[in-house]
Amino acid sequence: MSRMKFYCDDYRCIDCNGCVVACKEAHEIPVGVNRRRVITINEGIEGKQKSLSVACMHCSDAPCQKVCPTDCFYIRTDGIVLHDKDKCIGCGYCLYACPFGAPQFGHEGIFGVKGVMDKCTFCAGGPDETLSESEFEHYGQNRIAEGKIPMCASMCSTKALIAGDASEVDKIYEYRMAKRGDTTSLKPYGWEAYNNGK
Amino acid sequence: MANTLGYGGMTNHLGDMQNSKVILIMGANPAVNHPVGMQHILKGKENGAKIISIDPRYTKTSAHADLFARIRTGTDIAFLYGMIRYIVKNNLHDKQYLDERVFDWESIVVEAEQYTPDVVANVCGCTAEKFLEVVKLFAENSPGCLIWNQGWTQHTIGTSNTRLGPIMQMFLGNIGKVGGGCNILRGHDNVQGASDMANLSDILPGYYPINEGSWKYYSGQWQVDYEWLKGRFKTKDMMEKKGFSLSTWPWGVIDDENAANNAGTPLKALICIGNGISTITMTHKTKEALDKLDLVVFIDPYVNDAAVITDRTDNMFLLPAASQVESSGSVAATNRSYQWRSQVVKPLYEAKEDHDILFEFAKRLGFYEEFTRSLKNGKPSYEWPEDATREFNRAIKTIGLQGVTPERMKRQQENWALFDPLTLKGSGVVEGEYYGLPWPCWSDKHPGSPIMYRTDVSVMEGGMGFRAGWTDKGPDGKPVVVAEKNGQTLLALNEPAGSRFKGGHLEITADNIESFGITLTAEEKEKVKGKNWKNDNTYILVNKALEAGLCPYGNGKARARAWDWADQLPKHREPLHSFRQDLVAKYPTFEDKKDHYRTNIRYASEQNKQKWVEDFPINVVTGRIVEHMGTGTETRASKYLAELAGEMYAQIHPTLAKKYGIDDGDMIWVYGTGEGKIKVKARYSHSVAETDIFLPQNFSGLWSGKSLVDKYPKGTAPYALGENSNQITSYGYDIVTSCPETKCTLARIEKA
Repeated sequence: MSRMKFYCDDYRCIDCNGCVVACKEAHEIPVGVNRRRVITINEGIEGKQKSLSVACMHCSDAPCQKVCPTDCFYIRTDGIVLHDKDKCIGCGYCLYACPFGAPQFGHEGIFGVKGVMDKCTFCAGGPDETLSESEFEHYGQNRIAEGKIPMCASMCSTKALIAGDASEVDKIYEYRMAKRGDTTSLKPYGWEAYNNGK
Repeated sequence: MANTLGYGGMTNHLGDMQNSKVILIMGANPAVNHPVGMQHILKGKENGAKIISIDPRYTKTSAHADLFARIRTGTDIAFLYGMIRYIVKNNLHDKQYLDERVFDWESIVVEAEQYTPDVVANVCGCTAEKFLEVVKLFAENSPGCLIWNQGWTQHTIGTSNTRLGPIMQMFLGNIGKVGGGCNILRGHDNVQGASDMANLSDILPGYYPINEGSWKYYSGQWQVDYEWLKGRFKTKDMMEKKGFSLSTWPWGVIDDENAANNAGTPLKALICIGNGISTITMTHKTKEALDKLDLVVFIDPYVNDAAVITDRTDNMFLLPAASQVESSGSVAATNRSYQWRSQVVKPLYEAKEDHDILFEFAKRLGFYEEFTRSLKNGKPSYEWPEDATREFNRAIKTIGLQGVTPERMKRQQENWALFDPLTLKGSGVVEGEYYGLPWPCWSDKHPGSPIMYRTDVSVMEGGMGFRAGWTDKGPDGKPVVVAEKNGQTLLALNEPAGSRFKGGHLEITADNIESFGITLTAEEKEKVKGKNWKNDNTYILVNKALEAGLCPYGNGKARARAWDWADQLPKHREPLHSFRQDLVAKYPTFEDKKDHYRTNIRYASEQNKQKWVEDFPINVVTGRIVEHMGTGTETRASKYLAELAGEMYAQIHPTLAKKYGIDDGDMIWVYGTGEGKIKVKARYSHSVAETDIFLPQNFSGLWSGKSLVDKYPKGTAPYALGENSNQITSYGYDIVTSCPETKCTLARIEKA
């Protein structure tokens, strides 16, 4: 088995925020915590406006895991990066380490202190018993255990956001790239990709 | 569009856009208003289609276009005529198509002559070079599809926009073609179905005109006595007169002079069922009307924001309606496809489904038995919603809903996977059907018509010509049967594949059917005596026509000239509140119109009242944002959507903001040409022109700087409140439909 991956096709993303709402509704996430966000750059600038949906990228070499003082992260054999909320102390190191701003800290509570970290689970729940009430309460749905892809990708209105086995995701990406000819950027995620109009 | 092609429906379907080589989007922003439809546009792009976006704003749709042209609001007609002129001058038009299928297209060429690229540039505010780039890209790629939405309809000249769009498409032979067509993307669930079922004041269900003949036909369908039905109205004239419309009704309450148009009385009561009435222009007039009425009823799953806008303290009722997941039945998609929806949960708490609420009204008003007689149709009781569907299957013959039966819709619902999204063709148990049985679906053997006006397939495969017969009298004043102009008749010169009758023909009637080579038995003749295809309950006329490969409504030409309209040919006319005062004299608006949907409407007198732009120098564009729907009554009550878009704002170009000393995030006052004003946050944006501000239309709950949150019943206030943009939108209504002018408004702004 290869790794589970997200890919957001910036040629398809229309900044509708459907993925964000799908995620929040599915896992009953509090307002203020955003496991997934849509970022738009150069809004209103002709030819340069681009949108992209971002969440935890489930890195192979995850910086969050590297810096965590309590070692609460674990990477499943399918590559999904998860963490144990019972071990997390809410220090925020992972937030500084993450290049995508994925780790979320709720601001609820009497002193506005940081709670434990929450992030995208690739809809794969957490270390609690699979499909248990406790798992849902702490980590949200476990759609992977049910054989489904993450809610965000399944609800994406233009199918910009693709999730699943990396080899399958890659096939879709290659298919679209071949169809678009030279209009697909060679460096889809780099800033320089936009500077030359590609 | 119905007055050009025959039907007002979107001609093709969403999946078909993947077959286009070029897609022109004008007056629409599908990335925001139709995100799922946008998927097909983007797939079309991956298939090599060029996407063109023409809009006053650089929208989320424009961000995915190959070519963007910014034009001034309300100038689409000049742009389209410019395109037609270029197409003809460069011999890119499909002359055979025009000769065979379009009545009086030559007049359009004459009218287009004045719209040179320089004139287009001057009127529309884009450069001549940009205009030429657009027209070349569109005209030189085939097939091309045209998409529009409320950016075209909500104007004083909206109906001219929606006529000239299809006319331009016909110059390129793009109507009735795979990958072509006019794809009007309806903004929300079941808009097409609502208009098919006549949630309008000028028609009966299925677009039957409100005249004596139709009322008699419907009294038969509803199994009630015509005289009884007539007795429900004050007079026969009122029975056959267009009612107030969604946009004009407040004038029927507050302007006494309109009482004369309404049998001598102003409007006394309002029942508002599932409608965000504050999305109509001039909310301060809506408020005035709500305050003055004797009785106001809102039927809605949420508290309608209009209920907190009004200051009334008595005789206002909120009836909780069930949501879509608590009800079931058919809904029509943007492309005329009907789909079956199942109830997920029974209505919660005291909510009732809409029909149950209406039945309760009927009981208390004393006509429940008459109201439900045709649902029972001879049986002791009725089954909801199946029998309601069967009722419209029987009654609505004009748009061919005969074949859209509950049984077929349910079978399709269970077999979604068996349909091809590109052609809508079904396989296996749904072979021989297109998905959603898009109307016209002439019989329970007919597959539906996914692409209208195709003549390269037979009628039994969804083919058809244009509709024959427009008005009782043709342009020469003779009955339409023999109408002709300069030797051109209104009948087509070609025919759908497999038609046994060659050339055009009139709609099928008992009197003419045999002249098309169809024979009826003596018994059949007796049964259909005096009938035509749209009132023959035996279906003999329709079925015999289908057998012979003929379309029941005839095979006519589309009409480029609407001889019974104020503007026989579409004409550019400046908005009532024009940003270009210097063009008003050259392109003046219409004369004032009396008794337009029972309201005396100002056109010229409003336009000439003052030089509006001198006092109101900002051009205002309003529109939807993706997070919210309509007035946001439902979506602003969602905490997640409120988190994403929780605040009303005005997008303002930094250059314009600088002129007024407005910083990003400053509060500003926006004053409309009426009495309304709103206080909103300025948000810098490059998407608007340097002359414009953009206001989202989806907020309510703040009123000229004051919160109305306390007026909501306890626990019902939405999470997001904001100023209602329509407090400042200008006066103005479409000359034919009375659609409100939401898209051309002038305002003045100042830092708050």
